[in-house]
Amino acid sequence: MTSKVFVALRVKAPPERAFAAFVGEIGAWWRPNGLFQTTPRAPGVLAFEPRAGGRLTETLANGKVFEIGRIRAWEPPSRLVFSWRQANFPPELHTEVEVRFEAVGEETRVSVEHRGFDQVPEGAARHGFPDQALLMRLAEWWQRLLTSYRDTSA
Amino acid sequence: MSGLRSAVFYQDPKAALAWLEKAFGFELAMLLEDAEGNVAHSQMEFGDSYVMVGQEWSADHKSPKSVGGKNTQTVHIQIDTDLDEHFARAKAAGAIIDAEPQMQFYGDKTYRCRDPEGHIWTVSQTVQAVSREDAEAASGLKITGWR
Repeated sequence: MTSKVFVALRVKAPPERAFAAFVGEIGAWWRPNGLFQTTPRAPGVLAFEPRAGGRLTETLANGKVFEIGRIRAWEPPSRLVFSWRQANFPPELHTEVEVRFEAVGEETRVSVEHRGFDQVPEGAARHGFPDQALLMRLAEWWQRLLTSYRDTSA
Repeated sequence: MSGLRSAVFYQDPKAALAWLEKAFGFELAMLLEDAEGNVAHSQMEFGDSYVMVGQEWSADHKSPKSVGGKNTQTVHIQIDTDLDEHFARAKAAGAIIDAEPQMQFYGDKTYRCRDPEGHIWTVSQTVQAVSREDAEAASGLKITGWR
């Protein structure tokens, strides 16, 4: 078993649009968080390579490209799974994010499940937080991210 | 944001999350599970508010199921449309009905039920505007702060 953080909200768009905005406009709606730094540098711009096996990258101000993860399931417009790692994770640790898009009437319920964050060991990435505090902060961040995504793009 | 939110405790919070969606149409907005799959925290949304659904976590945080069905507070669900349909859906999901839908003197139609662990829920829809004078006459109560 692995820990899970789940958050969901509704956007006023069909799944096709919601999926396209999530993937295609992540550079616009993403909001970095100091607690979950992807790299030691200032936050860059995120982008997906929109295909099965594509990368999720962050392009830093100095032009360097950091690979956050890879797309593990590419099922537009209903489901997307990608791996997630931060530069301060141990090399073998990849957490996983699953995003689902379900039509509800004329809206879409967009949910994010981030799995495996309890495996982040003591050290820079954990900020000394016990599991529950870490997961709560992660959930609150994903709520802010989805709200930004809804208000900015979807 | 300022406001009131309730936390409701269950022996089996995961079953409660599924039941509250099926019976009342609440939507899961946040769920935290530890590595053993236990619910650490959850929020279910309805309209502009949410309830937190959690595990019994201390000797004083109990499900009604653990304390002989006793409730010391209830959560009230206010809806805008079709109370009878809401009632039918809850009943079909297995809600135990304490009071069938009926009109109240203040202009709401209401029903009352219990979920599988014995939490009492009240459900209400305003269907008619009633003046303070009429409500006082109908109930025999002196009413302050009528809106």
